[in-house]
Amino acid sequence: MVDFLSAYSIQKWLESCPQGYLENTVFGHPPEEKEPELLLSNPVLREETIRATVQLVVGERCALAASSGLINAAPDEGSKRFLATQTLDEARHVEIFSQRLYDLGVRKEDLEGVLSQYANKNLVKFAEVLLEKVDKKDFVAGVVGQNIVLEGMAFSVFEMMHALNQGMNPKFAHTLSGTIADERRHVGFGENRIGSLIKEFPEKKAEVEKLQKDMSYHMLATFADLFRNNRARPEFEKLGAQARERGISAEWHGVELREMQPEDIEKVLSETVLKEFKVRLERIGLAYQTPSRP
Amino acid sequence: MRDPLEGGNTAPAEGGDGRRYVLEDTGFDEVPKKYRRFYRKWKGPGDTLAPNEVLCPVCKVVIRSTRALRDGDRVYCMPCMSRLVVFTNDAGALEARVAY
Ligand SMILES: [Zn+2]
Repeated sequence: MVDFLSAYSIQKWLESCPQGYLENTVFGHPPEEKEPELLLSNPVLREETIRATVQLVVGERCALAASSGLINAAPDEGSKRFLATQTLDEARHVEIFSQRLYDLGVRKEDLEGVLSQYANKNLVKFAEVLLEKVDKKDFVAGVVGQNIVLEGMAFSVFEMMHALNQGMNPKFAHTLSGTIADERRHVGFGENRIGSLIKEFPEKKAEVEKLQKDMSYHMLATFADLFRNNRARPEFEKLGAQARERGISAEWHGVELREMQPEDIEKVLSETVLKEFKVRLERIGLAYQTPSRP
Repeated sequence: MRDPLEGGNTAPAEGGDGRRYVLEDTGFDEVPKKYRRFYRKWKGPGDTLAPNEVLCPVCKVVIRSTRALRDGDRVYCMPCMSRLVVFTNDAGALEARVAY
């Protein structure tokens, strides 16, 4: 077995992350950057931005609970140290996305209320499926659910949001760049650690494959809820037109997101994430199971 | 300073141009400063890779070496900590697979 964790160290994490791409940032972005005035002044856009950001906080709270919970389930010292840094990464993500809610005008005392008001029910179920494995100290299933399924989804969602925000909202685009860099380490750990562990515990395959199928269904249902019948559609269309006038594109995976209807964006996102799951799982010797479509 | 290219396979690539590549820092800031020039962001499906470059299949970062890469080379992707082996795919292009 190639011990990939031998090249990993907390020192390298310090040099890459806090002393690297996060240096001179405040809550993940340069201190002088602010949310665009339009997002703050247009009530429909503001509410939809709050709704979208709430899902990020919910997802990251799940990742924080999972990565910290997995530390004591990890069979080796290297994995424990890696998960300790991942725990800090996830806690930071919870903090920066919560801070974004405050920047959008949510009062600190209202945070929990806003989270429960806007949290998507399917995303909550997605988290519950994963945390059940973590509670049972099931390391193999926990890492697949957390570092391959949840992080794989987050990686694509953040990249897509980054493409959409890059020209219009540099503050949020910068916040996302740091999380994308973090996700690279997290998916790398998931693939490499499980790639070797699944060879040791082939009897875990069927259970882990079902976990991916169940989590994928809740993920697709979350995307469906968020993209279909979105009441801010006319506002987003106006924003898209403004971006086009200013020559700002949002290209992602070979498509121009600003030219697309929300349902079509949902389709591209879902297909991209599922394709990534399939490729990743097959690389480590697990069979991808197609989830039912909501 | 360590090139992501690992192991003793340091002779110029067979069939390649055998030249050394001078690597500029492209602003990739996800690894410690002294390693930054060995990686760059991938620009998506339209991005053309140079003979000394290969895409990490795990995290989609381009890994760069100071010499042309060839079949069997082992490279390290520091952003995601993956150890990779370079191979020639059916289309004749260089790809990397993960060594677990
Ligand atoms: Zn990589």
